[in-house]
Amino acid sequence: MIVADHVTFQYADSSDPALKDISLKIGDRDFIGITGTSGAGKSTLAMALNGVIPHEFKGDFYGSVKIDGMDTVEHQVEDFCRKVGEVFQDIDSQMVASVVEDEILFGLENFGVSHEEIGARLEKALDDLGIAELRTREISSLSGGQKQKVAIAAILALEPQILVLDEPTGELDPESSREIFGLLRKLNEEKGITIVIVEQKIKLLCEYVKRLVVLDKGSLVFDDVPGEVITHIDMFKTLGINVPPVAELSHLLRLDGLWNGGITLTVTEAEKMVREVLHDPV
Amino acid sequence: MNLLNYVPGNSFLHRLNPITKLAAAFLYGIACILCDSIWMELAFIVLMIAICAAAGLGTRALRLTRNLLILGLFMFVLQLFFVRTGEALVTIGHFVLITTGGLTSALLLSLRVVATMLPLMLLFAITPMNDLCNALVKKAHLPYRYAFIITTAFRFVPLFSTEFHEIQDAQKARGVDFETKNILRKMQLVAPLCVPLLVSSLEKVNSSAISAEMRGFHLRSRQSGYKEYPFTGSDLLVFVLLLALVAFSAVFL
Repeated sequence: MIVADHVTFQYADSSDPALKDISLKIGDRDFIGITGTSGAGKSTLAMALNGVIPHEFKGDFYGSVKIDGMDTVEHQVEDFCRKVGEVFQDIDSQMVASVVEDEILFGLENFGVSHEEIGARLEKALDDLGIAELRTREISSLSGGQKQKVAIAAILALEPQILVLDEPTGELDPESSREIFGLLRKLNEEKGITIVIVEQKIKLLCEYVKRLVVLDKGSLVFDDVPGEVITHIDMFKTLGINVPPVAELSHLLRLDGLWNGGITLTVTEAEKMVREVLHDPV
Repeated sequence: MNLLNYVPGNSFLHRLNPITKLAAAFLYGIACILCDSIWMELAFIVLMIAICAAAGLGTRALRLTRNLLILGLFMFVLQLFFVRTGEALVTIGHFVLITTGGLTSALLLSLRVVATMLPLMLLFAITPMNDLCNALVKKAHLPYRYAFIITTAFRFVPLFSTEFHEIQDAQKARGVDFETKNILRKMQLVAPLCVPLLVSSLEKVNSSAISAEMRGFHLRSRQSGYKEYPFTGSDLLVFVLLLALVAFSAVFL
């Protein structure tokens, strides 16, 4: 469990704080999406959740982040990076090896997982991500989606309780993006891993996450279930965040008094709504 | 095709211990340096290509030889005009252009460069960088830090080249003409790209370091490595053969 309490952070070379007074509680088995325009502080928040900030970046840090009661300022990064695994934004530069297998072994070897156990963990991580056949491939020869899965597998092998991902689908096509979200949902539901995902693709977030956090210029604007957050469509427009077209459609129908149900988040829901409005059952 | 890429395979060369491969490449090079006969240098090159061909790496060896010969040619030309011993071979009026001593020493030197570098270059074809470094950490007690620097450097070369091309493409899209034949003009155009390349490279290196630290880089010790690299009989055989080759070259050639 991560508890962020009134966190403010300002990078040493910046004149404005990147995070302003953020309080956030991340519980067990949560699936949280963090969104906002670029520069809203999404990545900074993701890095503050596991101690990379303030340990690896210079700046002023106020408030506290506690991981299972351990204050990130008082402990070293190594103390909780196994609990809170992070997949970073730049896929290529976070790799440390040239072959898939070595990439996944790196963390396992470093944290001194016993050599009897390492083989099984390696295979399990590969299987969980469905990339067993890539084991001996050169990472440079993989597609973006495959690389992203390798990056996730390398963290997953360390068996973290919480997985933080910074725009994992940023460089992926829509299909691979959906695949990654599907995998994350599976990890969340079947393995009980808490997922925190920073993402711009609001449509995918609305479909998959259980809780949506919206940041604007370093401040936390919303923190609720997606269905509730998305009702503030006018607010999203002022923030400059695109909302899913289906949500906007239901919003407009509501404004015109044609629809009095909730905001729709998926195409199936929207279809039902439109049929109801048009009195045209399937 | 990149001539320094690893070529996956399971030949007798691939199966050797990474340290044996490294030592063998160096010993072969030393034998070539100690050798003073043009014909034997040629024989060393042919032998190396033959060994590689037997391991299924014939094309790679030939391509490398061709590229190294270009370097050799450069050395050849330099030596040809600067070494002035022996009898005159080509004269222009009273000026001696090429001497017999120049010709032989140029031939010997250029072939020696090719023969010495060929096995070192071929090392990359049969050894994954990670294996080489892990083996050096385990067996030769190289500090992991240094091994990591070496593997990372190799891994970043293609990343930087992609980055460079991206920056160049961005400039092309804004109308900069990089296709010019004029080398000076081309250098003028490319030089300003070094700044963005350097900045983005430093960013990449930084995020790479953070990612490594998040996965326990500092906790790693010599015993951490999961893969073992045992020496076998064939490793011993290669060592003995190569040492014999060096001795033979030192005494007889």
